[in-house]
Amino acid sequence: MLRLLNYKHPVNLLVAVDIIAFGLLCYHNSSKAFDWKTLLAGVIISVLFCITYLIIVKKGMGDEYLFLIVAMLSSLGFIMIYRLDNEAGFRQFIWLLLGISLFFLSYFAFIKIKTWSKFIYFYIGASFLLYILTLVLGTDIGGSKNWIIVGGFRFQPSEIIKVLFILFLACYFKDPDSLRFPLNKPKFLNTRLGRSLFLMAAVYMNVAFLFLQGEWGTVLLFLLVFLAEVYVFDKGKVLMLVNSAAIIICAAAGYFLVYHIKVRFDIWLNPWADISGKGYQIAQSLFAIAAGGFFGTGIGSGRPDLIPAVNTDFIFSAISEEMGIFGGMAVILLFFILAYRGFKIVMKVEDKFNKALALGIAVQIGIQTFIIIGGVTKLVPLTGITLPFISYGGSSLVTSFILLGLLQALSSGKAQRSGGVDKLDRE
Amino acid sequence: MTENKKIIHIFIFICFLFLLLAGYLTYIQLFESTSLSANPYNNRNQQLENDTLRGSIFDRNGKLLAYSKKTGDKQTRIYPFNNLYSQLIGYDSKIYGKSQLEKQYDNYLVNRNIANPLLAIKNAFNSKEKTGNDLYLTIDNKLQTLSRQLIGNRNGAVVAMDPKTGEILAMVSKPDFNPNSSTLEANWQNLAESSSHPFLPRATQGLYNPGSTFKIVISTAAFENGMGTVKMNDKGSVIIDGRQIKNEGGSAYGNIDIGKALSVSSNVYFSQIAVQLGQDRLKEITSRFELGKEIPFNIPLEQSSFGYRNMSKADMASAGIGQGKVLVTPLQMAMITSAIANKGNMMRPMLVNRISTHDGLLDLKNYKSSLLAHVTDSNTAAGIKKIMQEVVDKGTGRNAAIRGISVAGKTGTAENEFTGIQNRKEHSWFIGFAPVEDPQIVVAVILEYNGSSGGSVAAPIARSIISEYLNNR
Repeated sequence: MLRLLNYKHPVNLLVAVDIIAFGLLCYHNSSKAFDWKTLLAGVIISVLFCITYLIIVKKGMGDEYLFLIVAMLSSLGFIMIYRLDNEAGFRQFIWLLLGISLFFLSYFAFIKIKTWSKFIYFYIGASFLLYILTLVLGTDIGGSKNWIIVGGFRFQPSEIIKVLFILFLACYFKDPDSLRFPLNKPKFLNTRLGRSLFLMAAVYMNVAFLFLQGEWGTVLLFLLVFLAEVYVFDKGKVLMLVNSAAIIICAAAGYFLVYHIKVRFDIWLNPWADISGKGYQIAQSLFAIAAGGFFGTGIGSGRPDLIPAVNTDFIFSAISEEMGIFGGMAVILLFFILAYRGFKIVMKVEDKFNKALALGIAVQIGIQTFIIIGGVTKLVPLTGITLPFISYGGSSLVTSFILLGLLQALSSGKAQRSGGVDKLDRE
Repeated sequence: MTENKKIIHIFIFICFLFLLLAGYLTYIQLFESTSLSANPYNNRNQQLENDTLRGSIFDRNGKLLAYSKKTGDKQTRIYPFNNLYSQLIGYDSKIYGKSQLEKQYDNYLVNRNIANPLLAIKNAFNSKEKTGNDLYLTIDNKLQTLSRQLIGNRNGAVVAMDPKTGEILAMVSKPDFNPNSSTLEANWQNLAESSSHPFLPRATQGLYNPGSTFKIVISTAAFENGMGTVKMNDKGSVIIDGRQIKNEGGSAYGNIDIGKALSVSSNVYFSQIAVQLGQDRLKEITSRFELGKEIPFNIPLEQSSFGYRNMSKADMASAGIGQGKVLVTPLQMAMITSAIANKGNMMRPMLVNRISTHDGLLDLKNYKSSLLAHVTDSNTAAGIKKIMQEVVDKGTGRNAAIRGISVAGKTGTAENEFTGIQNRKEHSWFIGFAPVEDPQIVVAVILEYNGSSGGSVAAPIARSIISEYLNNR
């Protein structure tokens, strides 16, 4: 028990932050009466994180820091969301519970089920099915037609596809040369060129569907993850060069041909030209960051409510306003350590499939963080995408926790896939 | 292993991206946050102003000069003394913005970006209504009211200050206007287009020739350069460099010394003294009296100037009697006088005494009086004081004399753009202080385009102000 209270124990840092932040939140909300609900939410979240952490340590589930970092990020996100909108905070709390459950589920499923590397066509098929469903049943929320509502329960299929996409890439790069197609005609399919074309077709189909949904941020994310995998695992240089060139040409063409892309770029170059219209969001975000200063206005004392979409895309601006540049810097550093732990796992893992999968997850976390934080600070053009573990939204949070579960499993060294390659060949 | 090497490349790339984020975030905070905060589209300012009850403004004795009242969501700024402080406190209008103290101290009044750790803690624990901070001025409301009454319907300015501290006791500019929003907004067009420029705060932004009041500056240079005992034969006029300089009314005063010359305000004497001093000494003494220098003040202050480069003798002669390119604000004239009154030390002028939170629990600023410039030595100052006292005792400034109080002063009649075109359009000046033994108050008065001599119209105003201040303290 005493050992647990030792301040050098990293989990205590997390608890300390939670106690301080929720204490402040209580005070902020309790202008009338003492706010038991906030306190209760804080206690439950802190206890939940501690228990999860203890399970990870006691059961030897691998890298114990991964979850700690994520717990800190989720705490910051939850505190901010709860402060902005109590009801959204409550829903986020439910999502957080579900996320942690799915974290354990994906961890055990990944270890127990040894055949994850064999479902390449399932991953593609499921992705495309989800895309088609989105196109047919999709509902427009916040400008992008990328939501599906089923019985009052809504989710964003593109978030789930993030997992499927990485799994697909891992399946492919596990051993591209031994990939056999079920069909034997036309002949060239089972050549090296054929396989490369198959890979590109699958990737660009993803891109095309996301393009139709107007998810520019996810397009960028998928392409960069794809390029990273190609760079690391493709033996030649041709595939890398061809795809890089294709992406650059498409981006240039997109700027001139696609109105939305041009608008995003123009806003990025000069948001002040149309500050009350198209540049409104980014201007409000910058105002918030400037208002925060180095130490922030304090939780509850700023006006992040003036920023549109502050719960989701712009949550980083809200954190910067109320917790200051130092708070924002802390978030950036936490993501950096997370990416660093991820890359450590990538380096350690021997199995090809596992390695490609770990790389996909680590790169995705790093790039997604950069795209959205860079976007809201006007470092790069703004594309709507969530900040992993922090932004409000069930689909995003759950997906992030599933990926974390996979990374956790990969770090544990219990997910060896012996001989998986040969078996796939015979089928 | 080549794969792991490539993975490290990717990781380095990611590191670079994160470094870029951290660097850019710091850049925004260091170099862009100020302009972002001030952006007119930044609703935070508007929201803060709406949410915060704007601070009040008080005179030195706690008399309320400006305050805000909240009715529902709307806030109105109320100036109970109407026109009296329009040129000093200014206005705060939703449509036309802010001016003067309302503008300069806006951040304090709405409690915005105030870097004070105690205030930050205080605000953090204050969940009740947000309030701005209050200003306490150095102004004495009684003296301000009297000053405005004395100017009456004439245009001009009055500045009264404490020479030992630099505190401004009264500062009135006429014409003025009613700064209360509804009146201001209804009259805006008329006020803005009026040929008498009611939005020009004459005391701080009006530039005038100092006329004969400038002779105390010339006298200072003369004393310092051992010319305090020079005697001259004043024949009523003199020709310098082809230009004729005449005394007021052409009076000839005969063989006079500097005391007598100041007392009768002899142009003949001072124009020749200025020529004898030469351009270098003239430039040097005016610069020591802070002409042509940026003087820190609580509201925008126009720079007084000695606008000469290479001076002909005619230029020197004109400058010697405060004409030509010598331009001063009434406040500058009060400061010059205060330097003489305060043993040669010019104090930094101040209008705001302190700033404190609305509940009065915490003083955010407590301004101390400070020395602006050491202008001249105390002996010289004492000499000037003595001859200035003679001006009031038996010279042109007799109208400023008060029974039982020794007053020192100097009158002036300044030429302007109407001189030579229209008669009786000169500005009338008076500068003075009292009591001579221990000066408590300095007064500078100017009446624009008045046509009368300073001694007849400006001196009585100074007299009443000095008398009120010294007798009712």
